[in-house]
Amino acid sequence: MYRYDEFDNEMVSARVAQFRDQVERRLSGELTEDQFKPLRLMNGVYLQLHAYMLRVAIPYGTLSSRQMRMLAHIARKYDRGYGHFTTRQNIQYNWVALERIPDLLEEIASVEMHAIQTSGNCIRNVTADQYAGAIDEEIEDPRIISEIIRQWSSFHPEFSFLPRKFKIAVTGHKNDRAAIKLHDIGIVITRNGEGEVGYEVHVGGGQGRTPFIAKKMTDFVPRNKLLAYLEAVMRVYNMLGRRDNSYKARIKILVHETGADEMRRLIEAEFAKIDASNMLTLPDKEAQRIMAYFAPPAYETALATSDILQAAQSANKDFTHWCATNVVSHSQTGYAIVNISLKPIGGIPGDATDTQMEAIADCAATYSHDEIRVTHEQNLVLPHVRLDDVKAVYDALVPHDLATPNLGLISDSIACPGLDYCNLANARSIPLAQDISTRFADLHRQHDIGELKIKISGCINACGHHHVGHIGILGVDKKGTEFYQITLGGAADENASLGDITGPAFTEDKVVDAIENLVDTYMNIRTSADERFIDTYRRVGMPPFKERLYAD
Amino acid sequence: MAQHASKHAAFQALTANRLLDGEVVYFTESGTWVEDFAAALVVESAKAQDLLTRATSGDYEAHIIEPYLFEVADGVPVSVREIIRAKGPTIHSHFTKPFSDKSV
Amino acid sequence: MPTKHLIIDGATASDQWQTIADDISFDGTLDEATLDGKGAIISLARLEAEADTLRQRNTPIGVILRAGEKVGEDPHRLAPFLDMLSLVAIEFPVYRNGRGFSAARILREQYNYKGELRATGDVLYDQWQFMHRCGINAYEIDGDIPLATFTKAMDSLPDAYQPAGDDKRGILWRRS
Repeated sequence: MYRYDEFDNEMVSARVAQFRDQVERRLSGELTEDQFKPLRLMNGVYLQLHAYMLRVAIPYGTLSSRQMRMLAHIARKYDRGYGHFTTRQNIQYNWVALERIPDLLEEIASVEMHAIQTSGNCIRNVTADQYAGAIDEEIEDPRIISEIIRQWSSFHPEFSFLPRKFKIAVTGHKNDRAAIKLHDIGIVITRNGEGEVGYEVHVGGGQGRTPFIAKKMTDFVPRNKLLAYLEAVMRVYNMLGRRDNSYKARIKILVHETGADEMRRLIEAEFAKIDASNMLTLPDKEAQRIMAYFAPPAYETALATSDILQAAQSANKDFTHWCATNVVSHSQTGYAIVNISLKPIGGIPGDATDTQMEAIADCAATYSHDEIRVTHEQNLVLPHVRLDDVKAVYDALVPHDLATPNLGLISDSIACPGLDYCNLANARSIPLAQDISTRFADLHRQHDIGELKIKISGCINACGHHHVGHIGILGVDKKGTEFYQITLGGAADENASLGDITGPAFTEDKVVDAIENLVDTYMNIRTSADERFIDTYRRVGMPPFKERLYAD
Repeated sequence: MAQHASKHAAFQALTANRLLDGEVVYFTESGTWVEDFAAALVVESAKAQDLLTRATSGDYEAHIIEPYLFEVADGVPVSVREIIRAKGPTIHSHFTKPFSDKSV
Repeated sequence: MPTKHLIIDGATASDQWQTIADDISFDGTLDEATLDGKGAIISLARLEAEADTLRQRNTPIGVILRAGEKVGEDPHRLAPFLDMLSLVAIEFPVYRNGRGFSAARILREQYNYKGELRATGDVLYDQWQFMHRCGINAYEIDGDIPLATFTKAMDSLPDAYQPAGDDKRGILWRRS
């Protein structure tokens, strides 16, 4: 993992001191709310429905045990005993008092964490594949370039007042788990003909009111030129992005209105100038220095199979199920990647209590080389677990309700905070996720249905990624009452697609029945158990689903 | 300033968040801001703007932020949003706030 | 409008410039006496239209680059005139409109413009240091803000990760 040096520590401490001063000036009346609001928003402090919310950055979703224990401590001391892991691999606290936030920030700074650029119209936390450094056939660990981008984009003097927020995601693997085509910039690590590592760059993806799949802008940028290329993209956007309408201010609209070819030309022209100056060419030694932090942990030599694991599986059917769903093979022989579901049946997607966080931190310290990852699907990962230890991890997770075997299944939905917390929401999301999860509580039934990604947003801003759910649900407000619109056929992976609206929206009490109707339709028409819901939809299209949905 | 009351609202009340901790508060007849919706001053819509003006004069920013009016009917907020603000999130029963309907 | 005060290169300065509206003719109403020895800040459109005649005058010429909403004025349009400009005012109409940060860097770094780059408009305390990093050297700020506050704001971040339009090299480039 990356560790701060004196420069990083100095920058974060300075920011905490600066924010402490700003909060004091606000509380003393020296700053008005109008003057203070942009300052608190630059430090991740929002005003939500019930209270202030603080978003803490988890760069590329990687945490140490020590950091996770701190997050638990913050939940207990400053909040109501829990935190919410988000689709941006961050954590949000829902009940923090403004006057205590400077102390909170000082505490997280002691474990090299911060809330910088977790809100505002700037470059946000860079996200990456949660299996980084652990999955087979990875070209390069995406956290290396993510950390370089994190540093380059932190306190960037030119790009801190962009037309709108700006999100970057990176994958180093052909299977995209980071939804890179739905980001303002999506980066795929690749190799050129000479075998050198570089980056394929996609620009202009995004969800919200007007969703777009990103357009590929270049096939290959060498490692030492990527920052120059990104600076070119950002400059074109900062100069030309619209500032007359916040719904048209994201780079996806600029790419759409300008056209991908013209956009590519503009970026290349700016890139040529920046590149000629050489000022952003990354020194190889610095790249190597950062790369060294992400070197593989000290794995033990182990066999490809584990007698302990096999014995445990023969003895315990639930454990076997959990292994089949939540455990993924590792690039290192004798190791596995363990997914921790934050979607217990009927639970709140992405929430974790202080004791759960501490249990996970203990597991990581004992069994996973001290590492934890956050996924954009709001689950956690122990990336480096010996096969011999998988059962011990399971046993440690079960008492904390952290071993639900539902990864990728219908109860593993993404849900935004919705109207239960969010100031912008039109409808609740979480209760719907809970109701769907409860309706399909039977895990055998869930396994029978197979992979099915439900994504729920409480408003058109699409924080719950409904556009790219195999089944997407969008909450809308009609005269103060909640309604839910359903979309089908979205996907966030390497074959990204946007869902199609089925038809009129459903009332709150009808929407779970509607989901069950869709599932039943799929089960009736799929060609085999191997044909996933999304495959069936792509094969047959909307008509059979629509017919069943609106039959009455 | 946010406006969450429709033009046709008959009755309205005034809400905000407390500066120090963000807690939801309501404006009362005596000019204070309190947590309990039951203590909120509800006025006819014709007088709602006066209420807002009264509440946002002086150094109100030292106590509350983002005040706005919302619609009330039969003693309860009309929108789901305002009911949730008054009662707390619907997904954490242990955080539910005491909430009593009030008659107008 | 609160009164503004001008800080150039870190020190309080008196304004040697006047903004001249497009409808005031240089030949007629605007004689040397009206200008009182001050330079004239004009619009980009006027600069493009009247550059040839303005070059004949002794009046120092500056231009204001408007940030716009849907579209902003393109700093590259200043290229043919930079030799005759001793001031470029960069407009920040609201604090959220950050086009001027890029405009400043383009003028300094791509055209090697050495004259005064002045931030004008809604210039926030917490943006001054970033503006400086992008090459801005003059600020119109609220009159009641003491110079000490300005000086403090310029040091609010002790270092920088990335190179920009100032002389900081960036942490990423300094470690190795």
